[in-house]
Amino acid sequence: MTASPARLTVNAAPVDLTPVPVDERLLDTVRWRLGLPGTKEGCRTGECGACTVLIDGRSVLSCLALTHEFAGAAVTTVEGLEGDPAGARVRAAFEAEGALQCGYCTPGFVVALTSLLKERGTEASAEELLEDLGGNLCRCTGYAAIVRAVRRIHGEMP
Amino acid sequence: MTFTVRPDADAKLRGQVAFATDRGVPGMLWGALVPAPVARGRIRSLDLGPARAIDGVIAIGPADLARLLPGVTGAVERPVFPTDRIQYHSQPLAAVAAPTRQLARRAARAVRVDVEPLPPLEEIEGFDPVHPGPDRPDVIAHVLARHGDLDAAFGSADFVLSETYRTAGVCQVALEPHACIAEIQGDVWHVTTSTQTPFGAREDLASMLGLPEERIVVEGTWVGGGFGGKGAPLVEPYALLLARASGRPVRLALSYREEFQLGRTSLPSVVRIESAVKGGRIAGRRVHWRLDAGASLPGRDFTTGYAIGFILGPYRIPAIEMEGYAFRTNKPPLGPHRAPMAPQCVFAEESHMDHLAARLGVDPVAFRRAHVWKEGDRTHLGQKVGPFGLDRCLERAGALAATWSQDAAPHTGVAVGVGFWSTATGAGGEVRLVLSPTELKIIEGEREIGSGSVIRGIVAVAETVLGISRDRVRVDYHDTRSAPFDSGVFGSRTLAALGQAVQKAALALRDELGKRLSVPAGSVQLAEENGELVAVSGRRRAKIRSLLTATELALGGLTGEGRHYGVSGEIDTARVVEGTFYPYTDFTGAAHVAMVQVDPETGAVRVMRYAAFQDAGKVVDLPTAQGSIEGGVAMGLGTALTEETTWAEDGRMSNAGLLDYRIPTLGEIPPIEVHFEEGFLGAGPFGAKGLGEPPIIPVPATVGNAIFAASGVAMTELPMTPERVARALKLL
Repeated sequence: MTASPARLTVNAAPVDLTPVPVDERLLDTVRWRLGLPGTKEGCRTGECGACTVLIDGRSVLSCLALTHEFAGAAVTTVEGLEGDPAGARVRAAFEAEGALQCGYCTPGFVVALTSLLKERGTEASAEELLEDLGGNLCRCTGYAAIVRAVRRIHGEMP
Repeated sequence: MTFTVRPDADAKLRGQVAFATDRGVPGMLWGALVPAPVARGRIRSLDLGPARAIDGVIAIGPADLARLLPGVTGAVERPVFPTDRIQYHSQPLAAVAAPTRQLARRAARAVRVDVEPLPPLEEIEGFDPVHPGPDRPDVIAHVLARHGDLDAAFGSADFVLSETYRTAGVCQVALEPHACIAEIQGDVWHVTTSTQTPFGAREDLASMLGLPEERIVVEGTWVGGGFGGKGAPLVEPYALLLARASGRPVRLALSYREEFQLGRTSLPSVVRIESAVKGGRIAGRRVHWRLDAGASLPGRDFTTGYAIGFILGPYRIPAIEMEGYAFRTNKPPLGPHRAPMAPQCVFAEESHMDHLAARLGVDPVAFRRAHVWKEGDRTHLGQKVGPFGLDRCLERAGALAATWSQDAAPHTGVAVGVGFWSTATGAGGEVRLVLSPTELKIIEGEREIGSGSVIRGIVAVAETVLGISRDRVRVDYHDTRSAPFDSGVFGSRTLAALGQAVQKAALALRDELGKRLSVPAGSVQLAEENGELVAVSGRRRAKIRSLLTATELALGGLTGEGRHYGVSGEIDTARVVEGTFYPYTDFTGAAHVAMVQVDPETGAVRVMRYAAFQDAGKVVDLPTAQGSIEGGVAMGLGTALTEETTWAEDGRMSNAGLLDYRIPTLGEIPPIEVHFEEGFLGAGPFGAKGLGEPPIIPVPATVGNAIFAASGVAMTELPMTPERVARALKLL
């Protein structure tokens, strides 16, 4: 298997990676090379959403992304949303509604919802946001509290 | 409703909680398992040579066990690797470790396995269980109990309704796969792992590896969902053996495909239920149950003798007979899945109740209320029923169902289903509380698995007893080396059983503070003053710092210990003919209401509204309790409508992935109303009953009954997929 260096911007910092195998997944690069385990490893087949990261601001399943494909791109993981106002709104709403239990799917939801808010602002209705979150699976909450959190962000609390 | 914030919420939202999958240590190797290529067969040869030829790879198989485990004398009860017979597809035959994940996978594929395949044993129907004959699965459990004059009940009945139900296997699908890191530290075999039961895992590992328990340390991590799947060890023995063989730490995590293939899931069952009705009442009921136990070992099946009682239902019936068989097939071993087999048994029983009511032309809720147990009644095995709020839940559910029925559109149906459960408060646990001048520490050995029962539940118990604010209470998890013993997370027991240990320890602390303040113990509460804890009793106030001895201050604070070892009720053994049945500890009821719409052209079912009335004894922490009910209902909707393990003819699981095995997604969950019925007190602190498992139990039955109400067809198979509903509607 061949390997070559790769340069990415991760959470606003440029990183130069030592030879990266051509088949290495972005998920493994951020978790094991860069020490950012907030991006969770679930199914590794693009079905659960736990590994969601932002690439140039848009949600991507990092388990299906090859690191070399995104050379030069800006990658944002849940750790990179620390100072982000949209990320803070999402976290506050999830906290207030108890929209998490085991926490394994949680970073994926935070990243995906933050990207939706940044991309579409308050133009999108809560229903549209919820539809777009359909690719993130949660087994603990039954989504009920997550739905409440999204409605809270929209000021649409029942 | 505004919720109080979970103490773990912020770290989880920032991705700062370390799960077992997130752990790495320097010099670590990556492990992988070598799967059996068939579900049943004989191993002719296993050649690890090609894997070992890869640079940096360690490979171990059955022939290495004697060298790695000198203490093991051959016939351990559960061999780590089979030496002769393959019992299920993908059963680990050997294990490898390598410096990278990719290399480990490559090495696992390089191992050469030569097997003589045999046809897998999968059928549990169509033969006499007493004399199964050759090429039929063995019976590993048989239970039989009787009470009352069944012949008279059936002989003089106005009518008998006899039905057969079939239920599919379902998987836990915790999003975090099983993962651990094993390391041999001198004499100690250390494993950091995602487990619901650290002490249980230590005991099981000791028996599998032939080591004394004190040489094994299990350190639990935060658990990314359990639902029963993270009880018995799965990856740990292989990782420990690889660590032993390589002299390096080894990380072993299952792929998600392996999660499905190797996870200890629930498996198919067949229920026959017959009721004799006279004068509008159930005079007798006979049930016969067949359970696929996969490659489970004889004597290790708890499910059959426990869950079968749910098929008789929480109802007064003068004459009963229940008989159950568990068969050893070539599927992975049966494991506990949130309320093991109860949703399936209750699906049969509660669907049957609606079908009986329909035959009688009576209201199904009124029909249930005419039979339902109340405190003081006897169970089918003669145990006295304790405080039980099911009748009250039924009354409220019936009223809501009547209201919803007024809005019912065409092809829409509203119905009720119930379930009951008993918290495993008999399983023991201990804690140590340490009260320092500034905080209360709960030292314990159970990890938070998500429900909040550790991080909120047991904390709330300490808060209530001592009046301390929650931000002054800290849960301090210890590994099996230094934690007080605890049975772990199962049977909805954490708040109800470990919570009692916390309650006792907190009361011990309060008594001691009372003595030191020379006031009645019950009058002492904790408060804060300038960042320090103070004990308050009437007008008396004293800083905790001033009440502790120099030694106590040096040791971190005043210690209070709590131990809880519960007792179960008793069954009338004269009613047991064969096998082991289990008594209940407390009686936890739930009545649910569903409104569904059935598409008359496709058979697709949409759940539009849902409500749960939960007999909770006493709600100790409302957001935690509500989250448990909502999550349980959603999981139950999966069991009801979409979730089903399917098996190919060669015994391989044919839908081992999240696209083919469908759990509910966000858009499929209806609004869920949660109502608690308090006052029928359970065995837990302040009368709390466990709430982890009860909310899943009535769901498939409730949805099935709503389909019956909407379309008139009686569903007798789980899950109720569009195809099955369409067949029932005779569209196919």
